[in-house]
Order: sequence, then C-alpha cells, then structure tokens
Amino acid sequence: MSIEEKMKNLVVEWDEDGLKEFCSSLLEQKRSSAEELLKIIGSIMKFIGDQFENEEIFLPDLIGAANVVKTVIDEVLDPAIRAIGGEKNTLGKVVIGTVESDVHSIGKDLVASFLFSNGFEVYNLGVEVTAEEFINKAEEVSADIIGMSSLLTMSMDFQKQVIEELIKRGLRDKYKVIVGGAPTSEEWAKQIGADAWADDAIEAIAAIKKIIKN
Amino acid sequence: MKLKKIDVFSQNELEEIHSASLELLASVGMKVDSDKARAILQQNGAEVNEDTHFVKFSESLIKEKLKSVPSSFTLHGPDGKFKATVDVNHTEFATIGTPVKIYDPDHDKGVRKTVMADTINQIRIVDSLENVICSHIDVWPNDIKYTAIHAHCIYQWVKNTKKPYGLGCLGRLASQDMMNLASLIVGGDEELIKHPRLVGFMNPTSPLHLPQLMTNGFEVFTKYKQPTIIAPEALAGTSSPVTLAGLITQTNAEILGSVALSQIYNPGAPIFYGTVSHITDMRTGNSAMGSVEMGLITAGIAQLARYYNIPSRGPGCGSDSKVLDLQNGYERMQTLMLAAQAGINYITCAGTYEATLVEALELLVIDDDLIGMVKRAIEGITVTEDTIGINVIKKVATTERKGVNFLAEKHTKDHMKNELYFPKLSDRNRRATWYKKGAKDIIIRASEKVTEILQSHQVNDLPKELEEKLLNYIKEVEARTFDEYKKAEDLMVDSITLPDGIEIKDEKK
Repeated sequence: MSIEEKMKNLVVEWDEDGLKEFCSSLLEQKRSSAEELLKIIGSIMKFIGDQFENEEIFLPDLIGAANVVKTVIDEVLDPAIRAIGGEKNTLGKVVIGTVESDVHSIGKDLVASFLFSNGFEVYNLGVEVTAEEFINKAEEVSADIIGMSSLLTMSMDFQKQVIEELIKRGLRDKYKVIVGGAPTSEEWAKQIGADAWADDAIEAIAAIKKIIKN
Repeated sequence: MKLKKIDVFSQNELEEIHSASLELLASVGMKVDSDKARAILQQNGAEVNEDTHFVKFSESLIKEKLKSVPSSFTLHGPDGKFKATVDVNHTEFATIGTPVKIYDPDHDKGVRKTVMADTINQIRIVDSLENVICSHIDVWPNDIKYTAIHAHCIYQWVKNTKKPYGLGCLGRLASQDMMNLASLIVGGDEELIKHPRLVGFMNPTSPLHLPQLMTNGFEVFTKYKQPTIIAPEALAGTSSPVTLAGLITQTNAEILGSVALSQIYNPGAPIFYGTVSHITDMRTGNSAMGSVEMGLITAGIAQLARYYNIPSRGPGCGSDSKVLDLQNGYERMQTLMLAAQAGINYITCAGTYEATLVEALELLVIDDDLIGMVKRAIEGITVTEDTIGINVIKKVATTERKGVNFLAEKHTKDHMKNELYFPKLSDRNRRATWYKKGAKDIIIRASEKVTEILQSHQVNDLPKELEEKLLNYIKEVEARTFDEYKKAEDLMVDSITLPDGIEIKDEKK
C-alpha cells in the first residue's frame, strides 16, 4: 500500500491517532517531508470533497475527515514545518465564528470544514464570538477573511458591529468580510458593508474564492 | 420495532365478514360464464346451476381449497438473476394500471395517446428503479394490433428489463402464448414453473361474476404456477353496496370463490389476495381512486388477507387528478401510505394518475422516491443500546468547546444511512442554492431524471436464435383472425370488452 493509500484509509476511517503516528514516523524516518505530506493530505481532501459533491458520502463523513486532518496538521505537520523555518501554502486564512449572543454553530462549522477541505487555513473561534475576539485573532494570524454567522434576527446586528469596529480601528480594508446565516440576505450584507454573503456552505466557498481574488 | 399494522376490523368483525362472505358463496355463489370452469367446479364439489350459470361453494369446499394456497413465492426476472419474494410479512412495490394516455407537456391537452415506444420506456424506467420490482402491461400500446399486444410486450420485456413482468389473464390463447414465449426465453416449462417470471391478473366482475375470458386465462396461469392477482374492482355504491363493510364482504366472496377455482385448477398455485376496489363519487357517478375510502378498503383487504395467510395486493399512488398538481401529490401519497401501513404485501400502480388511465414517467420516478419514504416509515424506530446512544449524548453535551454538535461523531457516521432516508428528487436546498440550480420544481427534476435513465439504458442482448424464435412467434400471433381468437375462447360474440373498458372487436366488421 502506498503512503497515500494508507493515509487515505486512516482519514476515511477517522483514525486520528493512527494518522498522527503514521505521519510522525514518516517524518522521523525521513521517508517524507511535511510539505509532501501536506500535499498528499490536500489531494485526499480533494477526493473526499468530490465524493461529497457527487453525493457518494455525506456531511458527517466530510466533517469527520476534515477534523482528523486538521488535528494532524496542527499537531504534527505545522510544528515540523515551523521547526525548519518554513510556512505552509494555503489559499488564504479565514477567521470564522458565530457572533455575540448566538450559540448556533452547525452551519458555521460546515462552512469551516468546507473551507478547510478546499485548502484554506481556518481559525474557527466557535460561538458567541465578540468583535474584539474576531479582530484580535485576525490580526494575530494575519487573516485574509473574516467570516461571521448569525442564526437569530436578534444577533444579526452584531455582524454590523464587527464591521464598525474594523472601521473604527482603521482595519476595514485589511480584511474581506463575509456574512451568512438564515435571517441574513444579500441586501443585509450590502447594508452593513460586508464584501460577500452566502446562503449555504457550498455558496460560501464560491463567494470566498471570488472575493479573495479581488 | 416495526410499526404496528393498521387493523380496521376487530377480530369479531373480521369473523363476521368472513362468515357473511361464506354465506354469500353458499347461498348465491358466483356466476361463472365458462362451461369448462363450471364443469371442473362441479367435479370438485361445487353446486352448479346450468340454467343460471351460478356456482355455489360450500364452506367446507372453500376451507379445504384455502389450505393449499402458498403464503410466499418468489418472482424472477427474465434471466433468473433478479429475485423478489412476495410473502405475508413484508411489502414490495410494483406498477399496474391501464394507462391509454401519457403525460406530454408539449401536447395541447397535456396528454396524448400511448404507443409502443411509451410502453418500452415504462419498462426501461422500472428496470432502473430501486424500489419498484415489477412492471406490468401498464402503458397500453395503441399502435399494436390488440390481439398481438401480449406477444409484443413479452418481447419488449425480455429486451428491456432484468425484472419480472405482469400481464392480464386475457383468455387462454393469449395466456398460452405468454407461457410459450416465456418458456422459450427461460429455457423450458419446467424452469418457468419452478421460478416464475410472470404475474397474472384476474379480475372477477363485481358483483359475484367470473367472466369467460378471465377464467380461460386464469386456468393457464395457475397451470404454470405464475403468481396471479385476484383483484375485484368493486365500486362502492354502483357495483357493490355503498357501505365499505358491504363492499369488502362481497369482494371477499369473489376472491374466495376465485381462490377455490385456482386451487382446483392446480393445487399450490400461487395467488395474490387482491383489491383495486374503491368508491363511486355520488355527485358524478365517476369512480374515485384517490379517495381516502380506497385506502380504508385496501386496509380491510390487507387484514382479511392476513386472516387467510395469503400475500395481499392493493393499490397505492392512486389519484383522480388530471394534472401533476397538489391533488395528484397528496392523493398518491395518502393511498400509498395507508396501503403500506395496513400491511399490503404488493402495492401497485406507481406512475399512474387519473384513476390509472394516464401514465407519467415523471410520476414513476417520483413514486420510487415516495416508496423509499414509505418503506422507511414502516420500518419504524430501532431501539437498541447503540441506537439510544447514551454515550454520544454524554460526550457531546459535556464537551467544553462551545457549539460542538453530533455531526462529526462516529455514532452519526455509523447510523445515518440506516436511520435516515435520502430522497433523490425532493429539494432541500437553501433558497439561493435552489435558484442557482435553476429553480426547478419536482416535475422538471423528475423529467430530467427520466431523460437520464432512458439515455443510459442498455438493451439486453439476446441470442440470435432466441430472437428469431420470438419474432416468428409474434408473426404467428399477428396472423390470427378474430374468428380464430373467438373460437379459442369459446366466445360467440362480435366484440369483447376487457375489464378496463377496452373493447376488442373484429376490425373487418
């Protein structure tokens, strides 16, 4: 079995420990570099993403696999790259979260998983994220995108507050901002000065790919 | 646990109906047109009146004959590889209807007359469906000579599907053709009898009448042990009492009398205890197949079939609508769900509407999806330590990270495919995504599916020799005159009206 096949099996079976161990041993034995392993992981996630698009597998398969891969990158491959002073290639860095006073996470987590599977570096801040937390994280990791979710009409306004806070700090042009969530709309996004809006996770990927180019 | 089946009768009521049906059979009996059928019934203990042609069945005769009826049988596709068992415990789904028109949005009336090309398309679609196990001669090929339709259809069956096929027992000549052709296809009578390929259809005419053409064909089907549906189509208020209990009592007698005849013809011959009875709309005199009462009648018949331990057949997907609208949707699902919940073992009529007179291939693929949902519904809820999932609840509820959910849990991955039905055609997208995908309604999506299936369908390759034999046989059938046909059926009439209102008459007259 090739390295890629073995890794693919571990990802598909959600064997996080197995994948960590296997990658670590490959690095230790110098049979492969962290960059090479990241490339393999990229192609595995592409394969899984394609299967998902074709409805051969479903959301849990996709998110579960993305979770396994993310842990292995964070705990094994990233440290290995940083140890030799390198930086990994991504399509862009996205800070994502559900805004203050809102605990809905499923849609936002789907977007995070999709972004990750599509080659973005994702910082998922969870739920009830304040403007302060969004901006601090974006600054800390030199993010390209800030993504905000809101599932309540009551919490929508906090999306606006994050953008106002960015303007206040003179950081608005530094980041592209995308918003989403059931009560939001394209009009709402325009009204609060966001760069993009998406209705679901698949739309979100397309929208982010589009704004990151501009 | 599996869902409890709907019982519309208490045990006492069931016995009451059973007794009343037996009383009808003993005191009035059934009018049997065929001299031969009356003779064999008489030889086997029935009381025959040669003036009125009524045949009375004693309680002991019915009870004796019920003993040899099988409670399960297996249907096979032409090459024998596809198998589907019909028994008293579970539910399978099929087509059946008599569409003489087909949905055609390009036609100004929205429908047009059906031709052989439509018949073939229907067989091909059923071949590809996950939940529909058998197509019957549903779509009537109006462009084929009526006395040769059965032969052409069998040929198209073997060319176009891996699944079994159903045909009406329309006379001994046609039924024998069906057996001869099927026998050529499967390699002999022995194989055909051992592994049945065809489903017969025998309609007693309500009230209490067995027409000659039907018993002629029924004899052939039972002889070859091809499972045959006995399904009266009584209409409450016109061909039976308006009361549903009265209709069920009367049709029960019709079925039991026919069952007795089947077992006299050939003990152990597999049959379906069936119904396609519904009601008369008292405002117009029209039959109403999408009526909620049809569901109740079907449920009553299912319960009686269980009482006799015979696999049941009943209609689902029934609708009286003339268009593919909400009425069409709610009536077909309502009749389908009731039939399934009542425990009918072979639910039919997928793809039809307007009381089965019209076919829509679009509805056929939608029905496949509806059946998927209904199958899931009657599976009920599985309760085990694992499905209760107390550990995963504890794990997710106590995770410190906010907003963690069950999606990425192994428990979800392991169970989702068994727990959840994934509809193929229902749209569950968010509105923006639905717009992006063309804002298509269910009929458009179904129509695209139909095109996709038909474009990718592969015709079965037949050995050249078999192909020739079949085509030669069709030629022989085509060459028959109407007089030959009448003679074979002992008929002395100028035209024959089939149970579905289709009239067969001499083209020259």
